[in-house]
Amino acid sequence: MVDVAVLLSVGRHPVSGRARRAPTDARALELALSLPPGRRTALHAGSPDSPALRDYLGMGLAELTVLAMAEGRDPTDALLARLRALSPAPSILLTGNRAEGGEDSGMLPYSLAHALGWAIVPDVVALTLNDDGSAELVQALARGQRRALRVAMPFVVTIHPAAPAPRPSAFGPARRGRITVEAVDAPEDTALAACAVRPWRDRPKRLTVGAPGGGSGGALDRLRAATEAKAGQGRLLVGPTPDEAARAIYDCLQEQGMLPR
Amino acid sequence: MIAAALSTVTLTVLLVGLGLALVQARRWRAGRSAKVGVWAGLAALPARYLVDVHEVVGRTPFNARFHALTAGGFLASLALSVALALPPLRHPLLWGLLALTLAVMLAGGMMVGYRRRVLRPAELSGGRFSRLPLALTGFSAAFLLVALDQSAGGILPVWLVLTLVAVGGWGLAELVFGVWNGPLKHAVHGALHLAFHPRPARFHDGAGRDTGLRPLDLAQADAPLGAGQAVDFAWNRLLGFDACVQCGRCESACPAYAAGLPLNPKKLVQDLVLSLDDGSDDRAYAGHGHPGRPVGAAVTGPTRPLVGADALIHPDTLWACTTCRACVQECPMMIEHVDAVVDLRRFQTLERGATPVKAAGVLEELRATDTPSGRALDRRLDWAVDLRLPVLAAGETCDTLLWLGDGAFDLRNQRSLRALVLLLRRAGVEFAVLGAAELDCGDVARRLGDEATFQDLARRNIQTLEARRFRRIVTADPHAFHCLRNEYPALGGRWTVQHHSAVLLELLTSGALTVTRPLDGPVAYHDPCYLGRYNGEIDAPRAVLDAIGAQRREMERSGLRSRCCGGGGGAPLTDVVGERRIPDMRMDDARATGAPTLAVGCPTCTLMLEGVVEPRPQVAELAELVLTATEPTP
Amino acid sequence: MTARRRDPRAERAARVVPTGGPRLRLALTASDSAAPASGRPRRDPRARRADATVQTAPRLRLDWSGKALAAPATTSAAAVSPAVAGRGVRAVAEPVLRVIDAPACLVFAVLDRADGALSALDRQVMAAARLLADALDGAVVALAPDGPEDWGPEDWGALGADRVLPMPAAWAQEHAPEARAAAVGAAMARWSPVHVVFPESQDGGDVARRVAAVVGERLFAGVESLSAQCVARRAGGGSRELSCAPPRLLSIAADAVAPLGPLRHEARPLDPVAVACAPRLGAARRLPVDPDGVGLGEADFILSAGNGVTDWAAFADLGRALGATRAGSRVVCDAGHLPRDRQVGASGMVVSARSYLAFGIAGAPQHLQGIGGVGHVIAINTDLHAAMIKRADLAIIADAQAVMPALIRLMRERTHG
Ligand SMILES: Cc1cc2nc3c(=O)[nH]c(=O)nc-3n(C[C@H](O)[C@H](O)[C@H](O)COP(=O)(O)OP(=O)(O)OC[C@H]3O[C@@H](n4cnc5c(N)ncnc54)[C@H](O)[C@@H]3O)c2cc1C
Ligand code: SF4
Ligand code: SF4
Repeated sequence: MVDVAVLLSVGRHPVSGRARRAPTDARALELALSLPPGRRTALHAGSPDSPALRDYLGMGLAELTVLAMAEGRDPTDALLARLRALSPAPSILLTGNRAEGGEDSGMLPYSLAHALGWAIVPDVVALTLNDDGSAELVQALARGQRRALRVAMPFVVTIHPAAPAPRPSAFGPARRGRITVEAVDAPEDTALAACAVRPWRDRPKRLTVGAPGGGSGGALDRLRAATEAKAGQGRLLVGPTPDEAARAIYDCLQEQGMLPR
Repeated sequence: MIAAALSTVTLTVLLVGLGLALVQARRWRAGRSAKVGVWAGLAALPARYLVDVHEVVGRTPFNARFHALTAGGFLASLALSVALALPPLRHPLLWGLLALTLAVMLAGGMMVGYRRRVLRPAELSGGRFSRLPLALTGFSAAFLLVALDQSAGGILPVWLVLTLVAVGGWGLAELVFGVWNGPLKHAVHGALHLAFHPRPARFHDGAGRDTGLRPLDLAQADAPLGAGQAVDFAWNRLLGFDACVQCGRCESACPAYAAGLPLNPKKLVQDLVLSLDDGSDDRAYAGHGHPGRPVGAAVTGPTRPLVGADALIHPDTLWACTTCRACVQECPMMIEHVDAVVDLRRFQTLERGATPVKAAGVLEELRATDTPSGRALDRRLDWAVDLRLPVLAAGETCDTLLWLGDGAFDLRNQRSLRALVLLLRRAGVEFAVLGAAELDCGDVARRLGDEATFQDLARRNIQTLEARRFRRIVTADPHAFHCLRNEYPALGGRWTVQHHSAVLLELLTSGALTVTRPLDGPVAYHDPCYLGRYNGEIDAPRAVLDAIGAQRREMERSGLRSRCCGGGGGAPLTDVVGERRIPDMRMDDARATGAPTLAVGCPTCTLMLEGVVEPRPQVAELAELVLTATEPTP
Repeated sequence: MTARRRDPRAERAARVVPTGGPRLRLALTASDSAAPASGRPRRDPRARRADATVQTAPRLRLDWSGKALAAPATTSAAAVSPAVAGRGVRAVAEPVLRVIDAPACLVFAVLDRADGALSALDRQVMAAARLLADALDGAVVALAPDGPEDWGPEDWGALGADRVLPMPAAWAQEHAPEARAAAVGAAMARWSPVHVVFPESQDGGDVARRVAAVVGERLFAGVESLSAQCVARRAGGGSRELSCAPPRLLSIAADAVAPLGPLRHEARPLDPVAVACAPRLGAARRLPVDPDGVGLGEADFILSAGNGVTDWAAFADLGRALGATRAGSRVVCDAGHLPRDRQVGASGMVVSARSYLAFGIAGAPQHLQGIGGVGHVIAINTDLHAAMIKRADLAIIADAQAVMPALIRLMRERTHG
């Protein structure tokens, strides 16, 4: 038996801007649902009306507790109080490594871990429980690399996008799942309030950039990038000898930093 | 005495058979309730049998003949045998009549034997069916001898005649008890299924075609979401499955089966039949299975999960179907395989969230963006900025509303849409598009079982369309065509919807488009399932090709019996592995015609067939061909 | 050398202000500007604004092609250097040593230095810290694992570090986020920096958040644009931009700030701080990852085959020789030459590798949809008109079967010879 709490936020589709499950939060829930049996507590701090909450229930979660608060509030204390009130206390707190839709700073799990006095491990893709109350975690690093870690319970884990994909959300369970709303008092997020907010406009990167990393901006971006005419930019070698061709490829890869030196 | 013996044997066997049939009926009566016009159905039964069933059976004349002989002879001989129970009727003339009907039946029975023993079509099931010819000929031959003897005044010794009655009685029992669980089950169940069919409108006494899926009641929180176990199907659906004769016509027509995907529609129907038995398995099934899938591994039961890795139906089987309706088109028992597939998928998607990964991703994008590929709606017209398409705003009016569909987001299909737009302009058709207000029609969501997303999209599209006035909707996408024309009406949206092939034909015949450069070369035409089988439109595209001077060549399997390109029902998304790809097989059909051009009338077909590795015929959309052929001469 | 030798410890001791608490504070600004004890000349405010302009207008040097290499920035560090005052910007080749003796404040640059190497992002963090410090007459303190042997103050100085606070060299190899965070926290307590700049790398971002949690302050995470007056980052799922005056704790997203060209700063070492930390994360170790075991979506370097490849042994050898993850078009996966999960494209995987080396792939639309996020494409094809050739950054019209062995040979020569 292992009791697990999961923090779920509302994501935002990059193209339509519509509310959806936040991709890494959904992966955190997926991991929680695939751990050995035990209590699963799912918490969301924010508006209880977001349709995206049902998407989490549709994954087979029976109940989701919403700490109802207005936008722009700092959910840390409310979540902390709610987590402390859980009895028995959970031994694992799971969440995505980055929300999408709020401040998106990835700070919340750290603040909670610090306040609870728990260890925290970010960017986890796999979790196995040992018999001695510890767990083996696997962290995703850049370029498909992996790092294993051991940590004793209780701990906080944030989930990386490379973790197993979340199961799809189904209509039936989403409709049946319970949303329990608890109104809480949350202070205004002053740091956020001090910031100027405006719509994001893409600006070109200043530098020659390598891989844009895992997250891509949706199918449209991919299509645009895939189909945009690149003619005239590439270098073309017609009918070189195999050795010339090999050297050209080698030099090119070297230049890209793909080859061990 | 002989007459009494014969009629008693016949009556007894029939009564026992009736009892067994009633016991058997409990199985399908366990299904959900369904709205059925009982009397109207029963009244329509004979004509449906003679017209609709015969149309299907008649596609193989040999089968039609032996059916007429066997079934006609059998029914008549039964009636006459029962009549012999009345002493006044025991007249040599009646015996002679009986002999005649039995002779007819014997001839039919021998044809059945010839087919099963000599022709041996591979798609036929064996098992209990193998004994059928013996039972048919045994019954008819034995009773024939008795009837001949009696009409001649009784020459044979009585013990021999009684033995013959006994032999005939065995044959009859074999046949009639088959109604309970054997080959002749189909006779009774088939008849009841014709009467209580879930789609009465498909018969000649209705609209003649009925292909739109039925909406689920989503407003009712406890209404079932598809079928997860056998008893989740309506009783008349279960009755229909039970009517299956295992003739294997669906198996021969199924593109997935032909490509070695793990789906055999006949076995699928039998899986549903078998699942009505508790605690059994599918070992007794004696036909071809789902390619690559073992039999005998799963336990059956009316309330056991039907679909799952260890269940009777493997998920790969379920998701391999392209919903092409080739099986439905061929089934002599009028079974609706696609409805069953979609019902099963609905449960998997709506209750279990067990849609295959890529397909689930598409559904998620669809919910978040209203497009299957996660595009921004306001980019639907990006390809056509230079064409300055008029956008119909709410409250405005136009003649023709052009429904662009998802093809507008695809480079290849943008080419054919562009051709269509230029043709409409050339012909002076006043048209407009919806622009960003056009959402995906919901076709793929619905075929993948996501009824909730389909209905959401459909409702919003209907709202958009209701707020505008137009004479007709025209689309180049048969899937959108089918949704708008056949499936939106159930949700309240009714308009005149046309496929662009019909519109192009209209423009060519009215002279609005004139052929200046006839095509002058062989062209093969591939019928899209959702245009042909779903909507019966197989003539207009051909007439268009003829009008632009193409030397049209028919492929193996065309028209209403066309083979799917593999693109329907979300199959490219579920992407179940087989031995080959369905479009490769279809392209082989095209290659066999020798035509250098393969004309298509569907964006999905275009993509699927162009995805076949070269060398192959070039794939051209109808509008593209018409555009070149009607280029104004300088 | 224009600088005299001095005793940094004595100087620091002289600046310590008793606070009555456990924290040390350095008296900097006021006394500094009132009495330039170090003999630094007064600075020309206009020149300073000019500096800032150059540095805060990162949009001036745009690289749309994504190809030009970042030219060394001709920063105006020299302009504030007494040695070159009045002579304008000097050639970058020989920067003059700049000593900031009595900084008005301190700016921490907390560097990853993973595996002992300085990443591009680490350099960008130094540049960001430099920019913030210069605007405040402050000094940059580089906090990084010590070593290696051949890395000395000149190297730190060349990056723009006025001070260096070394951390245990072992942390460069070990995974010690908790200890690193504790060390940064202790250093912050001791020197009260006005800004602490972290790299928004995976491990750097982790340390940054740990520090923020411990000191109870907000982290402005993943800065995408930076000036002395304003920092901005993406929020709201990428839809919104949040901006504010540079806060105390900030982390810099990759490629948001241009690294500085060669500088010469003093890089005076500071005393290491003592850290007490009982780490709770243990037994950290890298898991061996076979290139072909890497999920295609995460792979960095993909070697991909299409229907034009027939020599599958050579293809496999080439994959091993290059250390690349193997993949293919649908046709080759269908044919069973590669497993299905190695298929790139619309119905396979969408990849975002930095390099995609494609042999004998035609480049069907469904395939190209899978490589939209790829940084650099090399295509080898016999058909000049293949779509893949158009998409490629380096396109070679040649027979795959001939080029693969040649490339294997070349790889072997270069690695063994
Ligand atoms: C719904 C759908 C989804 C699809 N999804 C995908 C997908 O996810 N991924 C995918 O890859 N495809 C996908 N396809 C298939 C796609 O359309 C193409 O058929 C496929 O990508 C072609 O693969 P290819 O380039 O390897 O083969 P080909 O088209 O046969 O091309 C081979 C290339 O190799 C070149 N060549 C031949 N000999 C040599 C030689 N000796 N040396 C060098 N070059 C040589 C030829 O010039 C040619 O350009 C999909 C298709 C459909 C319909
Ligand atoms: S489902 Fe229909 S076509 Fe298929 S085997 Fe049964 S009766 Fe024949
Ligand atoms: S609809 Fe088509 S693919 Fe599906 S079972 Fe019937 S014939 Fe096969």
